[in-house]
Amino acid sequence: MNHSSNRIVQQSPARLFITFTLIGLSGFGGVLPWARRTLVEQKQWLSSQEFNAILGLCQLVPGPNIVNLAVCVGQRFGGLRGAFAAVGGLMIAPMTVVILLALLYDHYGQFEQVQGMLRGISAVGVGLIAATGFKMLKEELSYRPMLIVIALSIVMATVFHLALGWVVALTLPLALLFAWNKAK
Amino acid sequence: MMIGLLGLFVKLSLFSLIAFGGVNALLPTLYDISVNQEKWIDADTFIHYFAIAQAAPGPNLLTVTLIGWNAFGLTGALLATLAVCWPSCILIFYLQRVLTNLRHIRWKKTIEYSAGALAVGLVLASAWQIAERINGNAMAYALTIFSIVFVLVSRKHPLYLIGLGALLGILGFV
Repeated sequence: MNHSSNRIVQQSPARLFITFTLIGLSGFGGVLPWARRTLVEQKQWLSSQEFNAILGLCQLVPGPNIVNLAVCVGQRFGGLRGAFAAVGGLMIAPMTVVILLALLYDHYGQFEQVQGMLRGISAVGVGLIAATGFKMLKEELSYRPMLIVIALSIVMATVFHLALGWVVALTLPLALLFAWNKAK
Repeated sequence: MMIGLLGLFVKLSLFSLIAFGGVNALLPTLYDISVNQEKWIDADTFIHYFAIAQAAPGPNLLTVTLIGWNAFGLTGALLATLAVCWPSCILIFYLQRVLTNLRHIRWKKTIEYSAGALAVGLVLASAWQIAERINGNAMAYALTIFSIVFVLVSRKHPLYLIGLGALLGILGFV
């Protein structure tokens, strides 16, 4: 994180568009796992810690997090045009695909096999999201107290079914306190 | 038609402004707006389109695209997608810019570290919640858990998992 601002290599809007098109098109059951895989593991545009930080910022703002992520990454590597390119890439191809699928579904949706296939893919998709969460968790192990914040937010959302706005509002003070110490 | 499209755009823009944690986190609200209040879509179609948006490649917000598509065709699909994206795009653009220009290093790191920790919690929590919503039987949960382990220990491409999930589903196991 210390030297991050020094090594941002600017990317052309075309490159951002293509990268996010590929991320969008591989994003079965949610784009997040594929975004992390591409940006952190393959292209290494972002470190694991940077990815967590950007995604965290995106979660603080209402609206689709993954689109927010595209704005952030696009802006970071290509300014305003980069942001537009990244969001366009993320959305255009998947929108086309999903509308085609909706047309197909109108014809074949009643078949049990089709519905089973959708359920099977969804179950895997959830697993991919969770696995991304666990990979991100590894990064947090370097400062153990923060695990309390993470555990608290999970319990609030899943056991007590608090809306995510509340989860953020309630855990943020403790998160800021720990982060202040971690940043020392 | 014009009035209908305008209503779609305004309602979904407002929805987006309250959608903390993303579209799936507020799925019940989206359902209420589009099925009960505005009647853009009927209940069964809503659930089916949700499954397609989950299973199809691309962001989960494509549920919203399909709601627009169902109500007003292609224009509706484009407008609905735009409506749900633009408010947060503008917010995050300026938020990131403020953060980039922040001089105080410790404050900057504090914001980044705390946001990072919140992100981890919310990702794990939303995976849990989505699993509860869509996994119908023990086999589905087994498939989810297998996927988690597979991704964490193997370097193989996750598309193999998608193929496996589709196959098990077609054969009627999930």
